Amino acid sequence: MARVNILIAGVGGQGIITAGKIIAEAGNYSNTKVLIAETHGLAQRGGGVNIHVRIGDVNSPLIPLGKADYLVGLEATEVLRNLNYASRKHTTIIINNYVVRPVLPKVRLLSLQEVLDKLKGCKVYVIDANQIAINAGNIKAANAAILGFLYSLGAFEGLINEESFIKALKYESNIKAFKIAQVIKINGIDINGI
Amino acid sequence: MIELSTTKRVILGNEAIAFGALSAGVSIAAGYPGTPSTEIIETLMAYGKIYTEWSANEKVAFETAYGAAINGAFALTTMKHVGLNVAADPLMSSSYTGVEGALVIVSADDPSMWSSQNEQDNRYYGLHALIPVIEPYDPQSAHDLTIEAFKLSNKVKHPVILRSTTRIGHIRGPVELKPPSRPILGKLIKDPKRYVLVPENARRNRVEQLKRWEKIEEEVEGLNELIDNDSENLIIASGISFGYVIDAMKELDIKANVLRLSTPVPIPKRLFLKAVSNSKRVLIVEEGEPIVEYQIKDLLYDQGIRVELHGKDLVSRVGEMTLDKVYYAFSKFFGLDLVTEYLEVPQDIPPRPPALCPGCPHRSSFTDLKKAITMASFKPNETFISGDIGCYTLGLLPPFDTQDSSTDMGSSIGIANGVYRATGNIPIAVIGDSTFFHSGISALANAVYTQTPMLVLVLDNRSTAMTGQQPSPSKEIDIGEVAKGLGVKYVKYIDPFDVNSSIKELSNALKWIRENKQPAVVIAKRACALLVMDNVEENNLPKAIVDLEKCTGCSICYDYFTCPAIIPRKDKKAEIDNYTCIGCGACIPVCPFKAISLKGDKPEKWDELWLG
Repeated sequence: MARVNILIAGVGGQGIITAGKIIAEAGNYSNTKVLIAETHGLAQRGGGVNIHVRIGDVNSPLIPLGKADYLVGLEATEVLRNLNYASRKHTTIIINNYVVRPVLPKVRLLSLQEVLDKLKGCKVYVIDANQIAINAGNIKAANAAILGFLYSLGAFEGLINEESFIKALKYESNIKAFKIAQVIKINGIDINGI
Repeated sequence: MIELSTTKRVILGNEAIAFGALSAGVSIAAGYPGTPSTEIIETLMAYGKIYTEWSANEKVAFETAYGAAINGAFALTTMKHVGLNVAADPLMSSSYTGVEGALVIVSADDPSMWSSQNEQDNRYYGLHALIPVIEPYDPQSAHDLTIEAFKLSNKVKHPVILRSTTRIGHIRGPVELKPPSRPILGKLIKDPKRYVLVPENARRNRVEQLKRWEKIEEEVEGLNELIDNDSENLIIASGISFGYVIDAMKELDIKANVLRLSTPVPIPKRLFLKAVSNSKRVLIVEEGEPIVEYQIKDLLYDQGIRVELHGKDLVSRVGEMTLDKVYYAFSKFFGLDLVTEYLEVPQDIPPRPPALCPGCPHRSSFTDLKKAITMASFKPNETFISGDIGCYTLGLLPPFDTQDSSTDMGSSIGIANGVYRATGNIPIAVIGDSTFFHSGISALANAVYTQTPMLVLVLDNRSTAMTGQQPSPSKEIDIGEVAKGLGVKYVKYIDPFDVNSSIKELSNALKWIRENKQPAVVIAKRACALLVMDNVEENNLPKAIVDLEKCTGCSICYDYFTCPAIIPRKDKKAEIDNYTCIGCGACIPVCPFKAISLKGDKPEKWDELWLG
């Protein structure tokens, strides 16, 4: 049986744990084992957060270094913070076109371009998940947009089907964002990189 | 709410433990919130059909469950690993008396310290107290082994520790749930010869304890499993290490016998000896401390068996278990040439620590305190601020820099005692309301009776905020009245958002302490913003707005106050992120140019929610 490792990173409050829940629920509907390692505790709002998603024939929750099949950033800088889970050969990187300022004084942000410069030689897709979510009617659906994009890349092939995702996404705006993100891939719009 | 059925549900390990307890017949559950344990009691509370409580601290939670269990009830107590230190006193003696019904103690350990001050391995408590330790390896086994823990406790009439970790409690995965059973309550038992631990009774109990321990050593055998793959190599995998070992064996195509240990204390001696009798080489894979390794080496010596044995020489003692750690151990043990390719994390990325929320009253308390220190002519560099455990530990971070220590619950006041005695400098103890009731009160009583000059600043946000706004005794008991009752002569209340009067009150308190050489208590009372948000319609909140004509770009609001909703523009002027702003108004008095104001109406009962 196939096994897929997805690391999703971002900033506390972006719906990262919810994205994990959706994948786990969808996996359950497709009768596929999913393990999600979540970040809880402290005041996680505004802090860097990640989840490890392991799908298929898995018994342990954490992704080994360099073994993420997909490294996803709902915030661009957070991709870099988790870069040791990726390898140049093996990993597809998906970046939301969005940089959030850390809550610290006098901090210098990296621009999206500076983030991309550090990923030279990697397989990178940039998508505007926030805009997709707004188009779908709810800014909070950015995580659903990312999932739709992952789905269209074939991340869940043979493991979780679309029907299961639709069921797990529950809300209309989530489903819409999930679908719009898939179309974007097909049309090749808004994608840089590779 | 999760419906209970026999089908697979995707739930958290902590939920799986809660439903395991229900299936075992738990009737009383008491805990103190602490990551990664909190969701166990929360799940039982949501279920609602048994008695549950958030106790004032872990010791009280333990005693509540113990008191129920010695009267025949099936009782559960939950806490994080460091919480078990607080409950260690009754824990040790509970092993002498045993219990009548069942007592299961969940110790939620935190290897890698994702949300903790240390990564102590509480399996040691099993060896120390002679209490068996059961350790799951995934959410399903957490559910099943919780049921086994209750069964074992009831059968041998002895407490049992269920040791989980962050990667058990906070793993979401499929779990086949067993349905709940009828809660097993107690019936009053008076047996002072057993439960009054005067020396005569305790000495008799000590002998009984060791007899029960022998029985326990037999009973745990069946909770472990030997997977025989017809190999001369034996891998012993304790707790969560089992999942990692299985995955690494598949990936690296390794053949070995595997002993799955679910009872690291005591180890199943017979099963181990059977396993080792066919083995030439043994590798012990366990997270944290060499607790299984110590016991195995002890047993092998007693049995006169010499075998090549590896453990902590190949498996790191630091941090949580990972596949990478197992790969490394396997590469050495099996002589594999493994190369892991991965990208380095760039060094020049801005850090992103967790932040105080928009509307958090602590942000204002810290900026008020800093100004008051100067106003009272205290030197900031010579004023020790002992912090405590809570969201406000984030006061450590810039721009606040208002925590010089934070070690354990209630430590702020105790440490302030020592700071004053050593230096003669008047210290400031910063403590939350829940932490105050947890273990701050006794330290404050100490400060009063030893007449130790210190400012105790209680950040009363009406809840145990860090773990998810659980209720605190501050809801029912006024902290100022407690302080007065303890004999504190100077007690004041402030609203941290009322900046000028807060600075003045805090400054006056510091001056009073200097003159009177006694402790004073100031209570900064304003609710946790998340608690307020739970009770209002989020779409109808007022929002802060910046008058760009008045804004000079001085940066005070975003660099010295650092509300996440205030964003610097390219021209250094400030703007408000409407999505993040909750309209609390804390930033208004912060701006020296009066450029910030509120737009929109306050929701109903807004002020009551913040100040109630």
